[in-house]
Amino acid sequence: MSIAVEALSYAWPGSAAGVRGIDLSIAQGEMVAVIGPSGCGKSTLLKLIGGFLAPDAGRVKLGGRDATALPPRRRDLGIVFQAYALFPHMTALQNVAWPLSLRGVARAERSRRAAAMLERVGLSAHAGHRPAALSGGQQQRVALARAMVFGPKALLLDEPLSALDAALRVAMRDEIRRLQQDSGIATLHITHDQEEALSIADRVAVMREGRILQCAAPRDLYARPATRSVAGFVGHANLWDATVLDARTLRTPIGLLAADAAGFAPGSAVAALVRPERVRPGPAPDGVNHFAGRVARDRFLGSFRRLDLAVAGGTVVLETASDTSPEAVHIPQEAVQVLPAD
Amino acid sequence: MAAAITALYLAYLLAPILLLAVGSVGAAWSNTLLPTGGLTDRWYLQVWTDRSFGLAFWTSLQVAAATVVLCAVLGAPLAYAVASAASRGVRLAARIVYLLPVAAPPIVLAFGLMLVFSSDALPYLGETWVLVGGHVVLCLPYLLQALVADMRHMNLPALEQAAESLGGGFRRRFTDIVLPALRHSLLTGSVMVAALSIGEFQLSNLVAGFLNRTYPVVLLQAFYGATGFACAATVVLLALALLAAATGAVAARGAAGAKAMAG
Repeated sequence: MSIAVEALSYAWPGSAAGVRGIDLSIAQGEMVAVIGPSGCGKSTLLKLIGGFLAPDAGRVKLGGRDATALPPRRRDLGIVFQAYALFPHMTALQNVAWPLSLRGVARAERSRRAAAMLERVGLSAHAGHRPAALSGGQQQRVALARAMVFGPKALLLDEPLSALDAALRVAMRDEIRRLQQDSGIATLHITHDQEEALSIADRVAVMREGRILQCAAPRDLYARPATRSVAGFVGHANLWDATVLDARTLRTPIGLLAADAAGFAPGSAVAALVRPERVRPGPAPDGVNHFAGRVARDRFLGSFRRLDLAVAGGTVVLETASDTSPEAVHIPQEAVQVLPAD
Repeated sequence: MAAAITALYLAYLLAPILLLAVGSVGAAWSNTLLPTGGLTDRWYLQVWTDRSFGLAFWTSLQVAAATVVLCAVLGAPLAYAVASAASRGVRLAARIVYLLPVAAPPIVLAFGLMLVFSSDALPYLGETWVLVGGHVVLCLPYLLQALVADMRHMNLPALEQAAESLGGGFRRRFTDIVLPALRHSLLTGSVMVAALSIGEFQLSNLVAGFLNRTYPVVLLQAFYGATGFACAATVVLLALALLAAATGAVAARGAAGAKAMAG
């Protein structure tokens, strides 16, 4: 089954926050992650799809059918909440079996199916434990099993990993991806962790101020951000305010920058984006986009270093595997992307 | 320091009770620190054979049981309604309203009941159910307070949202999730209600009829007689309160526990 929202709008009473004109569709078997700063409307979007809020305008479609007016319990969605919301008086097995009990599955059959689901999330050994006796990661697995056991039309994940520590988060996100792909279920994954989104989603939607700025495959989002905001939010970036001088030259705070600015009128305000790994240490062989400076900050990150090079008028961030600290860098012309200033 | 203060507090709390217990088996007690004349069981026998005490004993048990049941039946849905009210203003107003009986002296409520139920239209003063009604009004705030605090602590709205997303309608959510999750606060709240109802004097003294006086009301009479008799009768009240508390606890656990097992 698929999830689609069309021109969905909601304004929180007495505030400017909410979502405005959201169009998004998630195909069967696809995982779409929604990222954005807090207050961007991503949680509101999930509540609208889940049915906990009624939109001011627009529609929610599940499996191609209009579900805008359905109450949450009729939407048949598996939702994993940020705080898991496990029922404290039930064991892990009883938690997972409860949605089956609601659907009239006989006792023996629901125990069998709940146990099988706990097995799939690797929690068979803890089936008889109450939530209070489980670790954060184990509670997360129970919540996931409970949301998937009844064969929901789609899966909504509301920052499911934000309460876990870093190492567990990485392991759990791979696990969620595996389960999602095994069951071929359309999944909306809300997160504020861009690394999490980029690493497991088929597509990533970047939200800001209630709108989706761009929705694309992780690689495309990183390589070809549509706007300055997206470029700044996804991955590390050198972003300079710039003015187009001509089709091949930008004026930036750190000096003139040779770039392909065809398509932008001379004099227009733009943003110049250069990813840190595209900046080359050492002087430019042809003198193009050459910047001399000194290392202001040196961050050791294992297989590479991220350096801030203080140059006249600003800073150039670069990533390099080399141990030597450069006194100059150059930026290949094709590494410069010109984006509309938003 | 803390241990000393605790010991002092416990002594202050327990010494009168211990003295009561000692006095209840002492043959004679007047103007001395401790009773004199050796041990006796006659005070207890006197309380046992006194018909008005026996009647009051049963009345108190019945009133307390009815109060606990009514408070639980009214309190659980009411607390749920208060806790799940969408607006903060509504929640605050509801809290103020349901806590009012705590602020108002019981004697005020008693006078009100006397005025209403001694009228020609409603000549029911002295009926046991009027007494039970008064006890429910006085005790309900304590149960509500326990329930609402528990609901907030366990973030009940989040549990309900999850339950609803899993397909749970209102009835199943209430019976499978809300009630069992609240069983501990329902239990402790019911114990409190039972103990309060058993010990209630101000309202009962004014509202109870002659044939359905509760134990504390009758107990007052004992203090006009022998000290030993008064002590024995008071110890019986203490035992009665503990019994009621235990019964309330068992009843609440049974009601919620049965639901918790379904799953």
